[in-house]
Parts: sequence; C-alpha cells; structure tokens
Amino acid sequence: MMNSMSNIEYVKGLIEKGFKVLETDVIDQYQVSFVVKQADVLQVLVTLKNAGWKQMSYLSAIDWPDETKIEMVYILMNWERAVHVQIRSKIDRNDPVMPSIITVYPGAKYYERECHEFFGVKFPGNPDYEKQLILEMWDDMPPLRKDFDPQAYSDRKFTKREYNQDYKILSEDNKLKEKREARKERAQSLKGGPKA
Amino acid sequence: MKSTKFTPARKLSKEEIDRKWWEIGDYFRRNSLWMLMYCTGCCAIELPPAMTSAYDMERLGMGPMATPRQADILLISGYLSVKSLRRVIYTYEQMSEPKYVVGLGSCPINGGIYHDSHAVINQLDQYIPVDTYVSGCMPNTESVMNGFVDLMEQIKNKTAKGWIKYKENNEWYKSNQMAALGEVIIHDEFHE
Repeated sequence: MMNSMSNIEYVKGLIEKGFKVLETDVIDQYQVSFVVKQADVLQVLVTLKNAGWKQMSYLSAIDWPDETKIEMVYILMNWERAVHVQIRSKIDRNDPVMPSIITVYPGAKYYERECHEFFGVKFPGNPDYEKQLILEMWDDMPPLRKDFDPQAYSDRKFTKREYNQDYKILSEDNKLKEKREARKERAQSLKGGPKA
Repeated sequence: MKSTKFTPARKLSKEEIDRKWWEIGDYFRRNSLWMLMYCTGCCAIELPPAMTSAYDMERLGMGPMATPRQADILLISGYLSVKSLRRVIYTYEQMSEPKYVVGLGSCPINGGIYHDSHAVINQLDQYIPVDTYVSGCMPNTESVMNGFVDLMEQIKNKTAKGWIKYKENNEWYKSNQMAALGEVIIHDEFHE
C-alpha cells in the first residue's frame, strides 16, 4: 500500500526533474497541478503515461480574455498510484493552436473536437478536429469564450413567449388603506368607542 | 294515403359517418394511450413514479411505447436543445396520426431557467404543435397525471387538434424550424 503523499512526491520528482515547470500546485493529497510550457506538453504526457498515468480523464480549456490566453488542461489518472495529475499550459487566445495528443492518448480525439467547438482551439495532428460533434451548424463565435453573449444569441435565434401584464400596481396615495382605517373607526364607534 | 310502414332512418352523409367513426375511435383511443417519452430533460425524473405503483399511469390506460410509429403521445420532458429538437421533429413526423404532444415543465413553455442559453430553444409550440403543457419546474407527479387526464378530456372534446394544425400550417412550422435550426436534416457521422 503506497502512501498518498509519497505519490505526490513521486510525480513531482518525475515532472520537475525533467521539465521546466512554471508553477506547481498541490491541491490535496490526491491532486496535483503543473503549469508547463506549451512545447513541453506532449513530452510531459508521454513521460506520465510511461510512469502509469494511463487514463486521460479530461481535456478542456479555460478562457482568460484579460490575459488574451487560453489555458489548456489535461487531467490524467493513475490507478496504481491514486493521484490525478493536471497539466496546464497557456496558449495564445487570438490564434489558439495546440498539437494534438491522439498519438499518446487516442481517446482525446473527441475531447479535442469538443474543445475546438467550444473554444476554437485548433489541433493539428487530429485528422477531424474540425468536424462538428455537439453543436450542429454553429454560426457564431465559439460559445464558451467569455466574450460570447448567450442571451443575445438566444434572443436573435429563438422566439420568446410574450406575456400580458395581468396585474396592476396600486397608486401611490393608497386609498385602500384610508378606507380600511375608516372602516375600523366605524366598527369601533358601533361597539361604543375605542377599547380602554 | 300515408304509409303505415316504419320509415327508415335518413341516410347519413359521408361527413356524418366519418364523424361518428372518429367519435368511436377517440373513445377507444383516449382510454388506451401509448406514450413515447423523449426524456432529455430533468423533468423525466417525474415519470418513474407516474408509471409505477405510486401513481400508476396504467389505471388511466396509458402505457410506455418504445417506438414512434406505434405511439400516440410524444412526451417532451423538459428542455430541448437545438440538436435534440431536430430529432424530435424527425420523431414527431414519423408518428402515425392522430398524434398528441405533451410538454412537461417550464422549459418547453418559455425556456425556463435556460431562457438565455445558446443551445436551448424557448418555445416548443413554435416548432411542433403542443396539445397539453404541464407547467412547473419541475411539475410534481400529481400535475403530470393531471396533464394526462387533461389530454384525455381534450381528445373527448375534440380540441386536441395539434396534428391537424401541423398539417394545415405546415409552412409556418417549417419556416420557424428553419429560422432556429438552419436545416432540419440531421448531418452527423452516424447518419452518413
């Protein structure tokens, strides 16, 4: 039974020894994240796969419009050493190109297609990264970019139901309240004056 | 001299005979409805209790059906994305007539909590005719059952005429579908 902290140490040693790591973040005892340079990503993944991180759990992107960067995130899992490893790398947002990793993890094919649809990242090396997967006949900018306005798109594309306003706002000088007060006074006078 | 013989009943016109047959058909149909459930939305979680012993849809004579060709009701449970709307239109057009549509939850009515999504349509009745809506997010199972009873009432009162509307106003529906979807024909690698 391997100690979980020593697993973290193991993977840290593995990555930090071989590559220039810009930032390491130990999230908890089962998760660790490395920020590496774009050119290193494929080699880092090969190293990790050889060390037992055989399962690619997820591939996605994060849009950082203020920095004009798109951050790629690869999450790998090792079933022998229970550690999720995140490999992050920031790429240019205006022309996002990331070499495909299907030579290392063939299952990434569909993740890359999804990522291309939602963030517009190009994946040279993946033969059909431009094919549509989830969105069909999309005609706008990639929808998960931060500057995409889903409300405007929805308003333009889909008809909205219109409702009649079937209530009205009471006037400011609240006559109902006066009436209520008058009724209260009248009731009291019938009972013989206000209660002591 | 007036004949004392029994005068035979007036011969019915074709429309009257048709109407009578439809009434007979509707009587049997509304007591034996088969439902195709398009469960892509979260409201589908209300269907297991409606179908099973808790509320028991079968006491209304309703049953689930796996294919569109034999089903009477198309049940749209919850939100519809643009992608699944294409499949719904395919399915709806495959169903044999008469066919009825029940929309479950607030998403088919006005978009619900997905009213500002890039992927979810806002009004289902712009694209296919809807006979009954069950509102709520999500509706509880009593109201789902009420919706089914309402649909039966509508069939009885001959007001569940969505499928006739779809035929009569087909161009209007088609133009709405085109405006939202671009093209109804499904292009994906599994159909090519």
